[in-house]
Amino acid sequence: MARESLLIASLVEIADNLVDDYDVIDVLTVLSDRCVQAIDVDAAGVMLVSPEGALQFVASSSESMRVLELFQIQVDEGPCVDCYRDGSAIVNHALSEGDGRWPRFTPRALAQGFRSVHCLPMRLRGRTIGALNLFRTHQGPLAEDDVVVAQGLADVATIAILQHQSSLNATTLNAQLSNALNSRIIIEQAKGMIRQATDCPVDEAFNRLRAHARNHNEGMTELAARIVERVMMPSELDELRGRAAT
Amino acid sequence: MPTDRLIDIFTLMERRTRGGTSLATLCLISAEFLGLDGSSIVLSGDDGEFTSLCASNSIARALTNLEIVLGQGPTIEACRGAIVNEPSLLDAPERWSLFTPRAIELGAQAVFGYPVRLGGVRFGAISLFRLGSGQLTGTQEGDAYLMASVIGRAILADEAGGNGGGLVGELGGESRLDFVVHQAAGMIAVQGSMSIRDALVSMRAHSFAVDWELAALADRILSRESSFDPQSRTWRDESDRADDGN
Repeated sequence: MARESLLIASLVEIADNLVDDYDVIDVLTVLSDRCVQAIDVDAAGVMLVSPEGALQFVASSSESMRVLELFQIQVDEGPCVDCYRDGSAIVNHALSEGDGRWPRFTPRALAQGFRSVHCLPMRLRGRTIGALNLFRTHQGPLAEDDVVVAQGLADVATIAILQHQSSLNATTLNAQLSNALNSRIIIEQAKGMIRQATDCPVDEAFNRLRAHARNHNEGMTELAARIVERVMMPSELDELRGRAAT
Repeated sequence: MPTDRLIDIFTLMERRTRGGTSLATLCLISAEFLGLDGSSIVLSGDDGEFTSLCASNSIARALTNLEIVLGQGPTIEACRGAIVNEPSLLDAPERWSLFTPRAIELGAQAVFGYPVRLGGVRFGAISLFRLGSGQLTGTQEGDAYLMASVIGRAILADEAGGNGGGLVGELGGESRLDFVVHQAAGMIAVQGSMSIRDALVSMRAHSFAVDWELAALADRILSRESSFDPQSRTWRDESDRADDGN
């Protein structure tokens, strides 16, 4: 598909998701997936600010530990922290061995095969609430219109969080951020249970949770909560057919 | 690395408890941290019973007792998962028809409630009141979410037998609301056939006992170097990697 068509299809898909009582982690995961497809990057993810003032990971195009680790490190240092603090984009930052800017982040990102990193702030009425992080396995600059597309997707992610009306009466931005972060924790707790109970890799645990939620028209967070509360057993989740649903 | 707002909480803890921390002081700290007139923490049991953990002053205590007797009010609503924002009880007499008139008599005019939760684990709620009416500022609201998360972790540290340093050590260390910890808790919950809450407590107790950071123990659980043996109800730590240098 041509890039323009892909972008339009992505935006329609996300807008369509925002109409109903959507799952915020699922929408942000879709958005991360679409970043990888619409922009020339290899992994993408969203970090949001916690009430402590630290960034926390909430969604990624890849649930593999090697990618998730790169978000985990960025609770303390890395492009997302800098982007969040300054409220401005970091684009085309080439990663290299001698780079002293992020002494923990850079070596891990290089070891995982990434060569450049980009980060777009998620801003709302003058406040930065998180960052969209993009990774590339090759160097070379992102085209100017890629940066525009990426910032547009970061803005859509911001809207996805702001629009989210949960049953918890969350009417303020702080409440919505807190709900989104807590959703991710519920999903992590359920992932651990699924991994242990079904002896599967952790990225498969996420994909099973997501696929089952979609098959049964249920929110992923709601489903994860039922697993955590032992109302549903991990073994009752639908088997993945072939590749994971996206 | 704790954030500035967490450091402010530590400073209040220091002053209130001279280095130690006890759950009973959390209400005093909450009220002072948010600059409000009083605060209560209520725990909700699996049996649907509510019990008071602490109250910052006599009005807060009277409000909590009232709520528990009447079965209605801001803290109980928040225990059930709602975010409560009632800036003027005088303007909303019908919201809690039994609670509201007595709360006004006691002097409270604005009440706020937040669930205390960590992922799928629900502990109860914290409520705050003001003698005058009026909304919370965005900063106060963000601080209320931070306090709610500190309280959840304080309860876990307390149940794990961490005296004094347990909570400050945990909040001040590298291991915060860390998704690796929650994934590991999911695995331990299945290994030991226990709730996620008990798994989080057991992990804390074990991390104190062997003197590893909670996040380090979580990493070992994910890589299957540490596990919980269901027969003997004890931890198994393979290899002595963590003993190096001792």
